[in-house]
Amino acid sequence: MTDASVKEKKLLDKIIRDEAEVSSDFRKANAFTGTMTALWEMWAEFHHEWKRITVASLITPFLYMVALGWGLGAMINTGDRPYIDFLVPGLVAMAGMNNGFTSVGMSFSTQRLYERSFDQVLISPTPLPSYIFGKMLGGALRGMYTGVLILLLSLIFGTSINVNGWFFLLMLLNGMVFSALGVLAALLAVTHADISRFSTFVIAPMTFLCNTMFPVDRMPVVVKGIINVLPLTHASGGLRGIAYGGGASWVNFVVLAAYAAAFMILTSIVLVKRRNL
Amino acid sequence: MIRIENICKKYPKSTQYALDNVSLQIEKGEAFGMLGPNGAGKTTLMSIITTLALPTSGNVYVDGEKVSRTRTDIKSKFSLVTQHVSIRKDMTVSEVMELAGRLYGMPLKQIKEKSDDILEFTGLIEKKKSVARGLSGGMQRKLMISRALLTEPRIIVLDEPTVGLDPHSRRKIWDLLISLKQKNITILLTTHYIEEAQNLCDRVALINKGKVSKIDTPERMIADLGEYTVDTFESGKLHSEFFFTKEEAYEYAKDIPGKTKIRETTLEDVFIKKMGTELGDEL
Repeated sequence: MTDASVKEKKLLDKIIRDEAEVSSDFRKANAFTGTMTALWEMWAEFHHEWKRITVASLITPFLYMVALGWGLGAMINTGDRPYIDFLVPGLVAMAGMNNGFTSVGMSFSTQRLYERSFDQVLISPTPLPSYIFGKMLGGALRGMYTGVLILLLSLIFGTSINVNGWFFLLMLLNGMVFSALGVLAALLAVTHADISRFSTFVIAPMTFLCNTMFPVDRMPVVVKGIINVLPLTHASGGLRGIAYGGGASWVNFVVLAAYAAAFMILTSIVLVKRRNL
Repeated sequence: MIRIENICKKYPKSTQYALDNVSLQIEKGEAFGMLGPNGAGKTTLMSIITTLALPTSGNVYVDGEKVSRTRTDIKSKFSLVTQHVSIRKDMTVSEVMELAGRLYGMPLKQIKEKSDDILEFTGLIEKKKSVARGLSGGMQRKLMISRALLTEPRIIVLDEPTVGLDPHSRRKIWDLLISLKQKNITILLTTHYIEEAQNLCDRVALINKGKVSKIDTPERMIADLGEYTVDTFESGKLHSEFFFTKEEAYEYAKDIPGKTKIRETTLEDVFIKKMGTELGDEL
């Protein structure tokens, strides 16, 4: 036997241990490790590309602030507050939605359909609902990161809005709703293009209609009724309430929490029951 | 022990069953090979065993326990090397390993130590900080094998693990599989390199059109066909005849005009004969 093959043999003995030795090790995937794994995975994804993510996530809100805040905003009646104060909470809510949906949904769809790396998650002993919960949290944190950047950017535009712990809690819930929706959409997608289609049909309409850029009071009753049940309406309305110093309604929190829970349950059912993933 | 009971699998929009009432048993510590033509159902069966896909009907049991996506205790015994490359390509080699370890609840210290040993064995240690996207196809496959070893499975499922590997790396993987066998780890292997199955597997199943057509040891399969083969070349076409004794083979060969070759029968001959009979001239 050559030195190299002796070394290889020793390595192999180290790598492949006896069953008794392996089972005596403490190792167990559980709900906590599942959530932390998903969070770590999203962190790894973020830290590779944080510069690009940061710049890309600020471009659209910046343009909205210039075009609507400085431009068209002067023509929109938002009561006794400047339009930019109305717009910024809406942009923060939008950022939570877009970042939650995109960072989780798009990435998840790539992992499932293109890279097929989700196979390893599916076969692993990690409890799948806890992994989904971690993805939801990670997506929400990405949304909050952009939200905070928007708040800082808005200072250039002279906003004076109130931000407190409830504001951040609402941002978190909003991000969790759309991250869970992103996972659900990615699980149901047959091709990667389905995610873009889903975004066009579901995310884009909410961007414009859900109390983000203009008040919905003057909408027809039926349209207003539909808009009022959508999650982004509750996020932007609640955030604006806090930003104006009046506080959010508990209804906003309950509706967002209910959406997040419903999407998570649905996603978990699909993950456990769907025959072909 | 893995017990596969009456597994049927039909994919949506397909008129045919990918697996049609498949039942078999794989003993603990056994190296079990699955051979069959493309589309025979081997990968589907592997996917069902590891819960990647769920069967239309039937069940899989490991040590008497029914396998499902929620049975995390059973799933912790498995590792899978898929036929397709299934790694996060935006992650570095060490991150890919860390993700696998975390998914199996391994402590971080153990992940890092074990990863280094495995990557050294598979020759990827120099690449541990490289992003997976930049690795060659062969290196990506080695990374998948490394990842499968990290979690110290009791059952390792390998779907064509050596595709795209150079001969040296392939031999190294063979050594690895032999070591896994020595440690009583159950191995499920599909491969198109039939020599690989012949050398490594205790038993093989021939699968065709979603059905198991034969299960036996490679030696018995070869003995049943005849241990000696006479190859004849007629009008540019290879024709093989099989014989139980060398004398019979020589007797036959001496009357054949033109070029003939007498050799030992291999599992590939069994495969071609069996599948050729079942598929007609499709092969």
